[in-house]
Amino acid sequence: MKKEKIISRKNIRILKEITISDFKIRYQNSLLGYFWTLIKPLLLFAVLYVVFSIFMRFPVENYQLYLLLGIVIWNFFAEATSIALRAFETKQALITKVYFPRIIIVIASTLTSLLTFLLNMIVFFLFLAISNIPFSFNFFFIIIYIIELYFVILGIALIVSALYVKFRDLSHIWDVLLQIGFWITPIIYPLSMVPETYHHFIYLNPLARVIEYSRAIFILGHIPELKLNIVLFFMVIIILFFGVIFFHYQESSIPENI
Amino acid sequence: MNFVIQIKDLHKKFRIPREKRDTLKENILHFYKRVEKEDFHALKNINLDIQHGEFLGIIGKNGSGKSTLLKIIANIYKPTTGEISVNGSVSPFLELGIGFNGDLSARENVYLNGIIMGLSRKEIDEKYNEVLAFAGLDEFMEMRLKNFSSGMQVRLAFAIAATIDTDIYLCDEVLAVGDINFQKKSLNIFSDLKKKGKTVILVSHDLDSIKKFCTKVVLLEKGIITKVGNAEDVVNYYIQKSEE
Repeated sequence: MKKEKIISRKNIRILKEITISDFKIRYQNSLLGYFWTLIKPLLLFAVLYVVFSIFMRFPVENYQLYLLLGIVIWNFFAEATSIALRAFETKQALITKVYFPRIIIVIASTLTSLLTFLLNMIVFFLFLAISNIPFSFNFFFIIIYIIELYFVILGIALIVSALYVKFRDLSHIWDVLLQIGFWITPIIYPLSMVPETYHHFIYLNPLARVIEYSRAIFILGHIPELKLNIVLFFMVIIILFFGVIFFHYQESSIPENI
Repeated sequence: MNFVIQIKDLHKKFRIPREKRDTLKENILHFYKRVEKEDFHALKNINLDIQHGEFLGIIGKNGSGKSTLLKIIANIYKPTTGEISVNGSVSPFLELGIGFNGDLSARENVYLNGIIMGLSRKEIDEKYNEVLAFAGLDEFMEMRLKNFSSGMQVRLAFAIAATIDTDIYLCDEVLAVGDINFQKKSLNIFSDLKKKGKTVILVSHDLDSIKKFCTKVVLLEKGIITKVGNAEDVVNYYIQKSEE
């Protein structure tokens, strides 16, 4: 076989086409369409906000922003990985009939979730705008965190999507893992409430870092230290690298096992 | 010699588990007990050279490995051992389809497939009417594909696969479905492709068409090529053998 380049105009066109049609399909059959993706995190937010700022109180200023940002970021991770997990099952007809680099399917699936996430972020910015926090150029740092977040998600999506082809009950296992992840990531509770000794365990989780650092730039008004940013950067690289390598070795057997 | 496809000592083995065990739980619980897997040799020791402009027919009983061979040429399956080299772009029409998405409209599917085949939107715009004329489904193009009948889906799929301008065309059982009208059109397409000097590989049980178009025919039996030669000889040999 002739070796074709992975990054070619043809493949970029395929990626674009599949991403756009994925986005269309995801919302075309529902009455409220895209609004569901806003309603879901907002409902979760409303419930948790009532529980944790009226019933129980966390000593956090601007808790509503603190909570919403955590939920929106977590929701992106949870949704993107669960949908990507089944990506090959949903695209079965395509991948057993025609060849193109299989990684495109996973990238397209996660990019579709990225679009949803960006739309959810607009809601966060609306909340931010009506709060008493003044605008700061530090806010633009979020772009770096969104890119890093995306690559963490892509790395994990590559692993779970390829594994799912061989182990179908991974979808149930993944649901459970996401539940656990929701509670061990500082989404609803402030990290300061967790005993200091556990902090380095929590920080092994790149999502905890992305969430905490994003809160730092928006709510606490400071950019996290360079050292912390470098650690996060290397975590992202390692996850993405591992995902790409793992996927590379599984790729050719996907059409036979799906 | 101007070979478009060269296959050397190709072997394809599928591992088919005797008991189905594809969940992690089963794998963990029965870890000590190895799953007995049967090796199914779909293709054995295939050597085949296909020249530019050749119209190759592949015949054989169900399960003889015809579709597996096409899937390997289309780069969907990887050979277990052996080599295959394909020079040129391939338009696959496999197992009565080309990879449709039922939730998209017929028109959107034409674009999606065109783009996967390497065309740009503009190039598809130019081809679009040609696809329409061939498929003859003008009034249904905005309908979602899952509402198409299976015959209509096949028509559209083959219309796309045949209209795209590539070097090699893979056709798996095109003639088995579709009404008489469409079969006629398909046969015309084959004549056209032949005239243009395209390389076509046709898998079919329609032995008359095989005789009519193919310059060379391969007979597959249980994954082995048992006879290669001109259409007349191989088809007659196959008929004789089936009657025994």
